[in-house]
Amino acid sequence: MKRIWTMWSRELAAYFFSPMAYVVMIFFLVVMGFSFWLLATVLSQGVRGGPVMNELFASIFFWLTILITIPVVTMRLIAEEKKAGTLETLLTAPVRDSEVVLAKYLGALSFYIVLWLPTLSYIGIMKFFEPPDTPIDLGPMVSGYIGALLVGALYLAVGLFTSSLARNQIVAAIGCFAICCVLFLGGFLPYLVHSESVRDIATYLSSVMYMMDASRGVVDTRGIVFHLSGIVLMLFLSVKVLEWRRVV
Amino acid sequence: MSTMIKVEHLTKAFPGTVAVDDVSFEVQAGEIVGFLGPNGAGKTTTMRILCGYIAPTSGVVEIAGHDVLRDSQAARRNIGYLPENCPLYPEMRVDDYLFFRGRLKGLSGRSCRQRLSEVKELCGLEEMGHRIIGNLSKGYRQRVGLADALIAAPPLLILDEPTIGLDPNQIREVRALIRGLAQQHTVLLSTHILPEVEVTCDRVVIINRGRIVAADATWSLIEHASSPRMIVEVQADAVELKDRLLGLGAVKAVEIEPAGSWVRARIEGHGGMDMRPELWRFLREAGWEVREFYSEKSTLEEVFSNLTAGDEAEKAAVETVA
Repeated sequence: MKRIWTMWSRELAAYFFSPMAYVVMIFFLVVMGFSFWLLATVLSQGVRGGPVMNELFASIFFWLTILITIPVVTMRLIAEEKKAGTLETLLTAPVRDSEVVLAKYLGALSFYIVLWLPTLSYIGIMKFFEPPDTPIDLGPMVSGYIGALLVGALYLAVGLFTSSLARNQIVAAIGCFAICCVLFLGGFLPYLVHSESVRDIATYLSSVMYMMDASRGVVDTRGIVFHLSGIVLMLFLSVKVLEWRRVV
Repeated sequence: MSTMIKVEHLTKAFPGTVAVDDVSFEVQAGEIVGFLGPNGAGKTTTMRILCGYIAPTSGVVEIAGHDVLRDSQAARRNIGYLPENCPLYPEMRVDDYLFFRGRLKGLSGRSCRQRLSEVKELCGLEEMGHRIIGNLSKGYRQRVGLADALIAAPPLLILDEPTIGLDPNQIREVRALIRGLAQQHTVLLSTHILPEVEVTCDRVVIINRGRIVAADATWSLIEHASSPRMIVEVQADAVELKDRLLGLGAVKAVEIEPAGSWVRARIEGHGGMDMRPELWRFLREAGWEVREFYSEKSTLEEVFSNLTAGDEAEKAAVETVA
């Protein structure tokens, strides 16, 4: 546990030593700020009764940000260490491969959470300007954040996995982007396919549907189970890749 | 003395090649052993297996009694490893990096801080603690790598080319450092700089094309690997000198060359015999004037090139080992 903590803190600190982190943060805040502006515009025009929080958590801007930021955040995790040779010093220290993978994952997840932190101010702003007769419902806000965390956590795990496979960071990023795109686009299957069974399965496996629900205030345990098991699978595969590397 | 490294029938095959082929050797606690071989001989692969970075295809490797595969964590806790080219995190500061490495190797916060100042002093890094590693010179980076290997005070140090890329002064410093370490640590180091091995290492293991071609004490290897040679310069007739020298029992071959009004003879003796007393008696009895009389020592460099260059050398190597 102590070793995970040690590696986690180095991993998180490494983000803030690289200019990439600040570029990502600026990009993220610009797009999220724009989404918030859209939300504020909708709210100021008077609510028509539909869900509004999807402006923040289920719009095309949300997905664009996730699909671009996450590969950039995760690409360096293992690929960079392979290229620089530091993987050798890391993996010959008395640490388990699983500890390395977990620490790196938690480091990336922490950075992702840091990305979202400034957006918490949106809640304060909305609370401040809320009309007295129609108060802001915090429920969809909370479930939206839970959803963004879960979806991000799964995609980060995918990124960690592709980074463990690649030696080149760009390859890792493209691999992550490709897999996440498939996951994302697969979410539109329920709209496109008229077969009942495909629609059922796709609804279970769709992050898009899950975020639509989440931004309405629904916390669906099926989605939670899907995302958590996806994370466990990706981390498990990453550990296996590291172990396999020793043998080949 | 206990066995620190035990390697038995170690083989590592990569797709298409066998990097290490049935290698066995042992290193006792307290020894400094030089691990030599031409580029691509399998030195780095062997060291990586010892440190648990890659797994052997077959064979057994034990570090201080712990199998590197089954008891990997315990084996690794005994090792301080400096990989080839000394990879470091360039964005970190020296202090932060060494502290991170110490904590990773299981030191508590307090003992890590204490060890940090100790190894910094040992490696000449006192002034460098706040410098960013990426901005350091190659020599200082090498020292940071060495400090990393030392920080948890492991009983065994495995150093892959610790002096590569350093200037002669730095090489001397690192060499002195390694010899200083030998009192508390067992050291296995690989290098290309053979004079360095001659002065630093008690024993050498020479590997070529994945196989061990020699493993012996450094002095004994030098002594036995080649026949003794003497150089004499006398005032005599060249032909007569050569004939009479070849008449001596201990002499195998003679090369004569003129050196001004003197004659210089390079005399090769039979291996395992000391020809100096006989030679000296002969020169005194002949009554020639002598201005030079010395034995030419073989160097490890000759031994190394004999053992590792070409296929003939391989045969010779087998004889030497036998």
